[in-house]
Amino acid sequence: MAQIELRSVSKHWGPTVAVDGMNLALENGEFVAILGPSGCGKSTTLFLLAGIYAPTSGDICFDGARINDVEPRDRNVGIVFQSYALYPNMTVLKNLLFPLRFTSVKSEEALRQAKAIAELVQIEELLERHPSQLSGGQQQRVALARALIKKPNLLLLDEPLSNLDATLRLTMRGEIKRIQRELRVTTILVTHDQVEATTMADRIICMNAGRVEQIGTPENLYRKPDRTFVATFVGSPPINLIDGHVRNGSFAVGQKRIPLSGSCRDADVTLGLRPELISVAETGLPSEITNIEPMGREILYTAQSEIGLFRFLEATPQPRMALEDRVRLHANPEDALFFEQETGSRIEGLSLAAFS
Amino acid sequence: MAVATRDWNALARRSRYIRQFQNAVLISFLTVISIPVVLPFFWVLTISFSARTGGVESAVLWRACGVLVPAVIAYVVAHLTLKSVRRRLFAAAALTLLAMIALTVTVGNDLHLNNYRFLVNPNLVEDLRGAATAGGQFPWVWEAFFNSLAVAASSTLFKVSIATCCGYYISRYNFLGRSAYLQSLLILEVFHPWMLTIPIFLVIFWIGLLNTLAGPILVLTVIDLPFFIFIMKGFFDAVPWDVEMSAMTDGASRRQAFWHVVLPQVRSGIIAISVLGFIRGWEEYVFVTALRTGNSYWVMSTYLYYVADDVMGVDYGLVAAVSVFYMMPSLLLYMFLQRYLTQLTLGGIKG
Ligand SMILES: Nc1ncnc2c1ncn2[C@@H]1O[C@H](COP(=O)(O)OP(=O)(O)OP(=O)(O)O)[C@@H](O)[C@H]1O
Ligand SMILES: [Mg+2]
Repeated sequence: MAQIELRSVSKHWGPTVAVDGMNLALENGEFVAILGPSGCGKSTTLFLLAGIYAPTSGDICFDGARINDVEPRDRNVGIVFQSYALYPNMTVLKNLLFPLRFTSVKSEEALRQAKAIAELVQIEELLERHPSQLSGGQQQRVALARALIKKPNLLLLDEPLSNLDATLRLTMRGEIKRIQRELRVTTILVTHDQVEATTMADRIICMNAGRVEQIGTPENLYRKPDRTFVATFVGSPPINLIDGHVRNGSFAVGQKRIPLSGSCRDADVTLGLRPELISVAETGLPSEITNIEPMGREILYTAQSEIGLFRFLEATPQPRMALEDRVRLHANPEDALFFEQETGSRIEGLSLAAFS
Repeated sequence: MAVATRDWNALARRSRYIRQFQNAVLISFLTVISIPVVLPFFWVLTISFSARTGGVESAVLWRACGVLVPAVIAYVVAHLTLKSVRRRLFAAAALTLLAMIALTVTVGNDLHLNNYRFLVNPNLVEDLRGAATAGGQFPWVWEAFFNSLAVAASSTLFKVSIATCCGYYISRYNFLGRSAYLQSLLILEVFHPWMLTIPIFLVIFWIGLLNTLAGPILVLTVIDLPFFIFIMKGFFDAVPWDVEMSAMTDGASRRQAFWHVVLPQVRSGIIAISVLGFIRGWEEYVFVTALRTGNSYWVMSTYLYYVADDVMGVDYGLVAAVSVFYMMPSLLLYMFLQRYLTQLTLGGIKG
């Protein structure tokens, strides 16, 4: 277990900037998720930490010491690759014993540890098989056990669940979390699935195009996204965004003016409002239903208002409204978020004074 | 408009018949064209066990082939129709027994081992023609055998180990002039090595390896290298890099990762080029004759040539027996390892 730090780390591939001035500090035993779209530099960040890639600039520190020049084999990092990367020429047991081969652990002791870790991830019956004889979920467990057997300082998981089916993903999500809690190992999970990140991690690092957009608890990212990108990437169905302007203390879209609470100079802004926070009521913003999407437990409606399209959720299983119904949308005005269009940053302390 | 209902059963039956007919035609065709290829092999085998000094009894030849060819065709049919290994083995054993009995009945009296006396008699030529004929220089066959083995095995060892290291390096490292290097490897394949016989002779002469086995070993190693490097590069390209990286984060050095994780995954490639390389060295004739002046060393190919040469007076039985002895090692090697050779096209040759 170690305290991990990245200090303005960058990685360039010729003209491509895979990671751009990343700053990050992990506490001992913390479970952190890196969340971002494909190609944003998540895997590259992991490989920088494991020592597979060398950073173009910046420092990587374990327990305060700079380890840029330490070989991967000396970093004591366990990594589960996206493809699991099991050794096809060895049995599961040999796979598990491989990391201990290069340490001073005696062979009986190594065997005992392998059995113990196999029990932890529940693959005791598979020890004599070869990786090609395992299902995807079993391979994933073996890869996890192999990464854990030498008690790593840092456990890195590169989209470990992306090759599994939906039910198995749910089980493994819980399993990984249980194992991490039991061993208290500092863990970084890479994923592009926001549900995975929010359910498993203590903190989420949201990345886009090689830059960190926001670091915070799942709750924080959901309620107080710092940037438009984070607001759209976290939360499902995605947040409602409506472009407009601040004019003399009110939010203006076309002819419509809605009063603001909080002060802001005139600027182009985007209004953000989560679908879960909107409901239908007696009073509120006049709108017309344009789409109805039943999703099983709840129904996703789309409504056209004077200022734009709003999507919102109704918890009842039966549609209460039909297409082209005229309704009034209600929301707590203080739930509205505002982002500056130019920079994409959230404007602190600004929200609506009324939603109608 | 009503859609005509189809008679699915009739359609299925028809396509089954067509498939069976096509298979039958294909198998017959392959059998017919393989007879001229397989027949000489049986001739040589039969001659080596039946010919008496000088002549060949063609009646014996035809009778023996009349037994062996149907036996082989019967086995091919059995192999294609039987699916389980145990039944195939049983069919093979039964057919061998039948063929043995038939051979004993038809040509039993004409079979003998006299033509294989060269295996135990070191003074073959002297016994035949009197001591003066070959100047006492013609060796015992085992000397040629072990020389051939030395040439084939050591050149194979060199080219396989060099090709493996080079193939790995080209596959994994990006160095200056990498693509130029790859292209030049292919260009080398354009020149047939025989075109270079005279320069090669001169080089070997100057470095003082003329008339030693080291000469052909060196030349054979160098000739096959470009192609082998290319094949091994293809095999290494097929090994995912993250398995190797995983080994390195698991505590292995690059060399240990190569040795324990990467190398076992290209095993079939190594076996394939080893077989190819060994057979190449075993059969080599041009350079072993070009790089000696006189009879400084004998290998199997020169031995066979000498036995078949006029100097001896042509003894078909002896020539056939030596041929059978000569082809045995490569034949066995090929039979046991041919499944690795077929993988050459799968993992092997691609840029
Ligand atoms: N070896 C490399 N050479 C050149 N460019 C690379 C290399 N590895 C990654 N890149 C580039 O760096 C960027 C980040 O890649 P990375 O693999 O970290 O993405 P990722 O976030 O893991 O994506 P995914 O979710 O698809 O796995 C991409 O634009 C990619 O093209
Ligand atoms: Mg990735």
